[in-house]
Amino acid sequence: MPCHIAEETAAGRPQVLHLRTRPLRIALVGNPNVGKSVVFGRLTGRYATVSNYPGTTVAVTKGRALVGAEVCDVVDTPGVNALEGTLSEDERITRDLIAGGDADLVVQIADARNIRRALTLTAQIAAFEKPTILVLNMIDEALARGIAVDAGQLSAELGVPVVEMVATEGRGMQALRDALPAAAAPRIWPHQDAQGQAAWAHEVTGRVRHVSALSMARLQEALSRATRQPVTGLPILALVLYILYLFVGVFGAQTLVGFFEETVFGRGVNPAAAWAVSFIPFAVAREFFVGDYGLITMGLTYAIAIVLPVVTTFFLLFGFLEDSGYIPRLAIFSDRIFRAMGLNGKAVLPMVLGLGCDTMATMTTRILATPKERLIAILLLALGIPCSAQLATILGILGGISFGALLTLFGVVLAQMFFVGWLAARVLSGNRSDFIMELPPIRLPRLSNILTKTRLRVWWYLGEAVPLFLAGTVLLFMLDKLHALGFIARLGEPIVTGLLGLPAATAQIFVMGFLRRDYGAAGLFQLAHAGQLTSVQALVALTVMTLFIPCVANFLMIVRERGPRVAFAMLAFITPIAVFTGAGLNLVLHACGISF
Amino acid sequence: MPAVFRSDGLRPLSAVPAGWRGVVDHVRQDQGDRVDRLGALGVTPGAPVTVLQTFPGIVFLCDQTELAIERSVADVILVKPAQD
Repeated sequence: MPCHIAEETAAGRPQVLHLRTRPLRIALVGNPNVGKSVVFGRLTGRYATVSNYPGTTVAVTKGRALVGAEVCDVVDTPGVNALEGTLSEDERITRDLIAGGDADLVVQIADARNIRRALTLTAQIAAFEKPTILVLNMIDEALARGIAVDAGQLSAELGVPVVEMVATEGRGMQALRDALPAAAAPRIWPHQDAQGQAAWAHEVTGRVRHVSALSMARLQEALSRATRQPVTGLPILALVLYILYLFVGVFGAQTLVGFFEETVFGRGVNPAAAWAVSFIPFAVAREFFVGDYGLITMGLTYAIAIVLPVVTTFFLLFGFLEDSGYIPRLAIFSDRIFRAMGLNGKAVLPMVLGLGCDTMATMTTRILATPKERLIAILLLALGIPCSAQLATILGILGGISFGALLTLFGVVLAQMFFVGWLAARVLSGNRSDFIMELPPIRLPRLSNILTKTRLRVWWYLGEAVPLFLAGTVLLFMLDKLHALGFIARLGEPIVTGLLGLPAATAQIFVMGFLRRDYGAAGLFQLAHAGQLTSVQALVALTVMTLFIPCVANFLMIVRERGPRVAFAMLAFITPIAVFTGAGLNLVLHACGISF
Repeated sequence: MPAVFRSDGLRPLSAVPAGWRGVVDHVRQDQGDRVDRLGALGVTPGAPVTVLQTFPGIVFLCDQTELAIERSVADVILVKPAQD
């Protein structure tokens, strides 16, 4: 273990430099929404995704920090409410991490307004008997609410250093670094049960916290109230959705996509690529890059020009809503609807995220408590939630036709989702968990946090998506060269032309949609632009596409989360639903003579 | 579960109107892990509560944490008026 090799004097006090066989490992632990990720970012210089709902920091993030002259490994754990008793997946991971060799030292981050709750967790952390430091974060917000915590007295009660902090502004970070050598195992009378721990936390809170009459800032309070009450909350929700549409659907999907597709790629990248490959003597090789299924003209154009702007604008706005504390409030309104589908209001989080990217949303279903809920949420995401690229196509095509067509599509898709969810809730075994959700205070998000978060997400998206786009294009190219594309499409043609009443060319688009959901969407877009679809055909095709099997990335994510058996079962379930719903819609529209 | 007003002044959180203030007496042990989950969020004996709204879900302030819960959960949280 440590041996002393040097002594240096800092601020008149001798500091011991330890030489270890491995770096000191520090675990950041705390309740959800206390700012752990921000502290992590400040300590390590890296930024982990910060957000206002539990579950974003699902995976454990690691980084390195320089403390004095020593390099430490810092681990950012998921937000936890308990480390004993019935535990969620996140809580189990965190408990194992603290108990194991990954944590030499525990830094508990607490929301200074909520020390009663934090201390209940402290009582459980104490059981691990590891050197601990308690950080009281958001001291500024606590003071603004008239809450004062006596850090000195709290430190004396617990026997650990207590550091006051405003992590978003970097205040208190140096104090934390300075306190690390003084970390000690909490001296707390051991409480065996949750009751005893809660009672202890209550008593200590009473001794160290002083609340004056003045409470939450008035505007903050008014906004918090307005966003959760139905009378004001529902109009606000409508407004938020409208802004989402304007920013993502109009600015992202039309203005930005237009610029990237026509100007950047249409006049810049693609002609340049065509010129560059004109020196290659083989026609096949030239087509590989710039042909109908060319790596650059099709793959890169779709990935960068069509999908990227939509995904980026969505994540910018989503990050804003997330950091403002608004999204958990949606759960209050949606709880009853989701309950009918065997879920609870919490499921609104992955569903809204799915509007950006279903693949990413499938991963975040981990925040749901029971296996049954996770399964239903994954199924509904794959079945009905259109991702941003699809949404853009739907709005782009049907928006130009009629509002009625748009409503029909969303009506059919939502009804189908509701029906499947309702059925799944009854057919699948397992339980729904109670709806218990913390509502973080409404606050003004910090632009730098939103930008960093969006950058990380777009980066993640590009890393996952672009290779898949390109691989999908290569596959398409090969299928085309082997004339297999036409063969597969011809196999599907009777269904497409007969049952769905669509042009034969759509069969090929659906095959492409199999490889990547938004590929198919973009293919439809071009078909519609070329004037080859009637209004009814466009509506039917888009409905099938929306309900259709997820994109390859989404499918692989389902395999990763639930295993290949479940993934293929979903595929086999969703495909006929999509086709028969489309056929039914086609039949009904024709029978009623509706043509929009 | 109907709103039961008991002689000892205890009542479920689901039975009090918006604006009501009091303290948590205890969380009734029933099936599942409700006591643990609520306890972790600070809903423990002695915690001060203020009911903020009762529709569409029940929203209440427990100490300094704002929580939204469904009615069946509010049924097992037994509260009483504050002593002062």
